[in-house]
Amino acid sequence: MHGRRALRWFGATALVVSMLMVLTGCSTPASTGGGATTTGTAGGSTGPLKIALLLPETKTARYETQDRPLFEAKVKELAPDAQILYSNANQDSAQQQSQADAALTNGAQVLVLDPVDSAAAASIVTKAKAKNVPVISYDRLILNADVDYYVSFDNEQVGKLQGQALLDKITKDGNLGKTIVMINGAPTDNNAKLFKAGAHSVLDGKVKIGAEYDTPDWSPDKAQTEMDQAITKLGKTGFVAVYCANDGTAGGAIAAMKGAGIDPKTRPVTGQDAELAGIQRILLGEQYMTIYKAIKQEASTAAELAVGLGKGTGVPSSMTLSKVNNGKIDVPSVLLTPVPVTADTIKSTVVADGFWTTQQILNTPALVAAGKLVGLQ
Amino acid sequence: MSDERDTPLSMRGAGRMFRELGRKLAQGEAGPLLVLLMVAAIWTFFQFQNDRFLSPGNLTNLMLQQSAVATISIGIVLILLLGEIDLSVGAVSGFCASVMAVLIVNNHLPPALAALAALVLGAAVGLFNGFMVTRFRIPSFVVTLAGSLTLVGLQLYVLGETGTINLADSFVTRLTSTFFPPLIGWAVAVLAILLTLAFALTGRARRARAGLAVGPLWSLLVGVGVIGAAFLALVAVVNQDRGLPLVVVIVFGLALAFAYVTERTRFGRHMFAVGGNAEAARRAGIKIDHVRLMVFVLGSTLAAAGGVLAASRLTAVNQSSGGSDLLLMAIAGPVIAGTSLFGGRGTVWSAILGAVVIGSIANGMDLLSYSSSVKFIVTGAVLITAVTIESVTRMRRRGTIE
Repeated sequence: MHGRRALRWFGATALVVSMLMVLTGCSTPASTGGGATTTGTAGGSTGPLKIALLLPETKTARYETQDRPLFEAKVKELAPDAQILYSNANQDSAQQQSQADAALTNGAQVLVLDPVDSAAAASIVTKAKAKNVPVISYDRLILNADVDYYVSFDNEQVGKLQGQALLDKITKDGNLGKTIVMINGAPTDNNAKLFKAGAHSVLDGKVKIGAEYDTPDWSPDKAQTEMDQAITKLGKTGFVAVYCANDGTAGGAIAAMKGAGIDPKTRPVTGQDAELAGIQRILLGEQYMTIYKAIKQEASTAAELAVGLGKGTGVPSSMTLSKVNNGKIDVPSVLLTPVPVTADTIKSTVVADGFWTTQQILNTPALVAAGKLVGLQ
Repeated sequence: MSDERDTPLSMRGAGRMFRELGRKLAQGEAGPLLVLLMVAAIWTFFQFQNDRFLSPGNLTNLMLQQSAVATISIGIVLILLLGEIDLSVGAVSGFCASVMAVLIVNNHLPPALAALAALVLGAAVGLFNGFMVTRFRIPSFVVTLAGSLTLVGLQLYVLGETGTINLADSFVTRLTSTFFPPLIGWAVAVLAILLTLAFALTGRARRARAGLAVGPLWSLLVGVGVIGAAFLALVAVVNQDRGLPLVVVIVFGLALAFAYVTERTRFGRHMFAVGGNAEAARRAGIKIDHVRLMVFVLGSTLAAAGGVLAASRLTAVNQSSGGSDLLLMAIAGPVIAGTSLFGGRGTVWSAILGAVVIGSIANGMDLLSYSSSVKFIVTGAVLITAVTIESVTRMRRRGTIE
């Protein structure tokens, strides 16, 4: 009796824990809430233009607070009576399949799809094609499918920009050829591989890489432990700079340096995403740079393209298209250039775009003082 | 038999002692010893791979890295002793820490007050979980699993669109960045030894008063001597680096306090009784629902405390705080160090020992810059090996008794 109960408990616990691991452990963590919602009024297939926007998850702040409203605003501007069928898959690719089915059933004329799973989303494209509905692969590339267009940032370029900014700073500090630490993103994330490849293409041969880590789940806590160990391995004076793939891992690495009694101002650290916390660290001099991907630009481009395809007017003439191979075809692509941000350029980039307001950034006396130095107040 | 035990340590006595030790090891009665052997094996392996592994700096890092998970694990031990489970501890730690950060940064509350608020919030979550379990008889893992999803949502909500929140230098960040000067370190060690001695002596006296067999005084003194030597060694090591970390004192203090509660108080005896056989405990007049409710409150409060320590170490809170494999590690630690998943058996110290085992593996592999694939494989293999050893020794013991 006891044994059977025990076994059941163990099995159930293991199951639940592994479910949790899957739920919370993916590169871009999952979350609760969300679900499908529609905006605008219902109408028949002969009614107003219907565009489906299918986003992958809600845990990263950007999708709900940036992509969706910016996309909707641009569509409304170009086609005031257009209807947007919005859904969010909460990091569940099966859920995204059903949401795409629902959008097609509701008469969507264009799918703008940011896939949870780049490979699995190919079946959505097949279904859309059967109904003659064009598909725009948004932010992440859908692999092995007849995708019509791809709108994203050039992710390998992100890694190159990070590497180049770090290399320039290292050269300026007179530290060329010395040792650095590399803290990359999640090993399960295809974008993380591209950032890593881009950074290596710039840094290899110019500096020595004393320790390199892939950070499961992009976890800042894990990045901190990795950096602790890199410092133990190389010694407090054994490295001159740290490559971190995003602002979260950069925060962890900087906390580790502070914990070891190293002034982070003496070791340039890279980042990405222009997170508020990252921007604040840059102002304080603790982090050297971040990469700002103007989501406004990405969302507006996708919206313009979607409206053009929906109305049958085609690709806006202002767009330059390049080709990205997805394993099946060369997808016509709009690849946007990400922008590196250092303390001097915070004002002209993230603040000028309204990505963050001065008020949001300067929320402590120390930040107010640091902000004055670069004209933020 | 008891006559022989009272004779001073002779050759024959020593031989008997080793045989006894062997039996205890094989049957899992010397739980801590087995885990310590495992730690020794892990440490030896990594020390051979990289001689900085056992350096004072790295051992201090290990303690700082594991303080949050050890704190959460203490709460898990209390819950496991009842034969219950709490799958929301990771989410509780993340959510409470997020609320604390928002209160400090956005609402300008004094950090100490905000940390206290986080603990109270943790207690409230535990009260809710305990209430659902005792009032509606819902299995604890269903309640806490559902609860953890809600809490993850609430965490995203309170963090809002900014996501990560940085904590400036304050009471909260100093919890993990304060180190005591050498002299205070030694004083704390001496105090800890005296406390351990008093704990052991009063325990012996209680057994004697109750008419139970007590071991010879010298074996008690040897035991306390070994633990005391470990305390002194720990302080000697950390003094060579940055000094005794405040957070280590906090975690040990919590462990000592809850060891006292579980082993010496009426409430603690009730916990073991409920965990061993709830029906028997109920018939013996123990208010089992009251015990359960209280333990869920304690477990969640400790999870919140772990969250505060994690935020303190990272000097930030973000959407993934409390996520990733924190929950798994917090539960796996005590289990590999001998606390039963099925109630009624375990000690608070298994939380600390388990955290040391798991932390040592992660720490060592990061020091050697192993690739992620190797790290996942090795961690999984060590966990399954440890649990298997634990399980085999338990089966043997049962075999010899029945």
